Amino acid sequence: MIRIEKERIDEFIRALMETWSVYAPARDGKNTLFAPVEDPAGIDHGIFNTDKSPKEIFFPHSEVLFEFEGGEIKKVERDARPIAVWGLRGCDARSLRLLDKVFGSAWQKPDNDMFEDPYWKEKYDDSIIFGTACNEPRSTCFCNWFGAGPHDGAGMDVKVVDTGEAFILDPVSEKGKKYIGSLKGWAEATKKDVTKMKAAAKEADKAMGEVFGMDGIQEKMADLFLKPVWNDIGAKCVNCGACAFICSTCHCFDVQDEGKKGKKGKRIRIWDTCMFPIFTMEASGHNPRDMSKDRLRQRFMHKFSYFINNYDEHLCTGCGRCVIVCPVNLDIREVVREVMACEA
Amino acid sequence: MTVKELRETVKSLLTEGKVDLVIGWGKGTMPGTSTPVFIDTAEKADSLIFDSTCRNNLSVYFTKDRRALAKDDKKIGVLVKGCDSRSLVLNITEKQIDREKVTIIGVPCNGVVDMKKVVGKVDGKEILEFTDDSKKVTVKGREFELTFPLDEVISDSCLTCVRRDAVEYDLFIGEAREPGSDENAYAEVEEFEKLDSEERWERMKQEYSACIRCYACRNVCPSCYCNVCFVDQNDPQWIGKSPEITDTMIFHIIRNLHVAGRCVECGACERACPMDIKLLLLNRKVAKEVRDRFGSITGTGLENKPAMADFKEDENQDFIMG
Repeated sequence: MIRIEKERIDEFIRALMETWSVYAPARDGKNTLFAPVEDPAGIDHGIFNTDKSPKEIFFPHSEVLFEFEGGEIKKVERDARPIAVWGLRGCDARSLRLLDKVFGSAWQKPDNDMFEDPYWKEKYDDSIIFGTACNEPRSTCFCNWFGAGPHDGAGMDVKVVDTGEAFILDPVSEKGKKYIGSLKGWAEATKKDVTKMKAAAKEADKAMGEVFGMDGIQEKMADLFLKPVWNDIGAKCVNCGACAFICSTCHCFDVQDEGKKGKKGKRIRIWDTCMFPIFTMEASGHNPRDMSKDRLRQRFMHKFSYFINNYDEHLCTGCGRCVIVCPVNLDIREVVREVMACEA
Repeated sequence: MTVKELRETVKSLLTEGKVDLVIGWGKGTMPGTSTPVFIDTAEKADSLIFDSTCRNNLSVYFTKDRRALAKDDKKIGVLVKGCDSRSLVLNITEKQIDREKVTIIGVPCNGVVDMKKVVGKVDGKEILEFTDDSKKVTVKGREFELTFPLDEVISDSCLTCVRRDAVEYDLFIGEAREPGSDENAYAEVEEFEKLDSEERWERMKQEYSACIRCYACRNVCPSCYCNVCFVDQNDPQWIGKSPEITDTMIFHIIRNLHVAGRCVECGACERACPMDIKLLLLNRKVAKEVRDRFGSITGTGLENKPAMADFKEDENQDFIMG
């Protein structure tokens, strides 16, 4: 564990920028997001969960997969430097790990033949994640429902704790240990720092709301698939994609070609969501998820049933972004409570 | 109006069988929020509220794949602010809603709170408690408590609103106020008009570049009810789907023109936007044009057709004939 006095943090980030392409929380107009760092002084270390989720660093809203001209296919060159993310919250770090199960290597097992997505892997595999422990979780935070906590380091390479006067860098993964071990010129964290870290973690835990038990939710959801409870839950949903696009774990996408057919153009991958009617529209014109409640149910089935069946985890980390942005206050926590309270 | 009056009124409507369902607002899960509720029993009516947090335009629940609501045999009641009632009127004049099947219940509106403005007042700190009366708002958080006039934090659309109470209703809880004058309603549009075309374009680009194409603005809008929205047309595809500025602008401009003479300026789009884009400016610019050219103010009376669906012999044709 090393300690970086706050007045020297820019120096640390600048050193990081020599080898890494660094992303950190920043303000873009009225909103906050993770942006490439050009000047460490521009990082806003005080930003809580960014308005836009950091999934876009590794899985951009619109990503050019390749370009084509005539019959020729051209790979798109990107910044060759590996990505470092600074200031990622625990919920988001775990979100990236979940996405790695879908796109990357995290769910490779000898008995399956999962497709690995090269566009994800070329960015995520070599990346290093500096996560920030949350000293002041908000009322919309519910990471503790998923067995995590505000000072949890899962999904991070290095956990960063703000003790007031300094950032303490606590390596979590092998990659993190290697990086911290390679650094020179930084003092070791003191005993006092460790005491402060422990106190901060304790305070943060206390600030979290009560844990809601979700044992068996995947079977429960499946049993309720055709039940009227979804009419009640879905009644107020207006079926926009705000929740899905702001979500740190929603990852459905569409692939499209832009340009002239057979001539010049590019193939792009764009975020899509089950909330949109066109998502499941079939060529015949039939839509198996025709009504808004069907689409809403799909989103929650994916998060709390299908994903658990496929990858052993919930597809939600409790960041609370959707709770904040939903225009009709359809609170994901209430959906879970209603489902769990419902008799199949 | 008291909450008690509201609940009692809804209860008697339900128990007397005058309606089968009432769409209203209930308490939300975060301070300063409300959430749409669907009340089909007298007991459930106790969850109804009405205050400055009731920002949703509930007329949207009569449109899109819910339009069956007002067409089947159910009798539906709906709580409306002034702007919401204008949306209903628009949908009735456009034959989307059968007037006979809807019981319109007006509630007195003093403007709805824009939580982004409230959060701005406390430097982005988390608000843990929110209370309001019809004149002021009090917020509390860790180590702060602040009270300020309601008018300082109401939505921009409410600041210029002169029809706060329902223009069409079956019953009104409390006393409905007469509309004010529209004369100075478009001050910010006039400021915008003073910019040259390049400056206006820049301003719009700056706003819309934050768009994530979630379509929350479209989906909360009671005037936006095409069976298939042009952005969802994919055979052939009408516009690009990426959040690239050209396609994003096309979406917003076409939507804007499609609701020309149909937008009631309720501001639901702006409040729904997760990226805080000032969507209403362009809508209000168009609304001002419609008012000045055709003398039409959308949704103000069942006898008035929407400007683009109407023709009067003596209407202004300068822009055609030169």
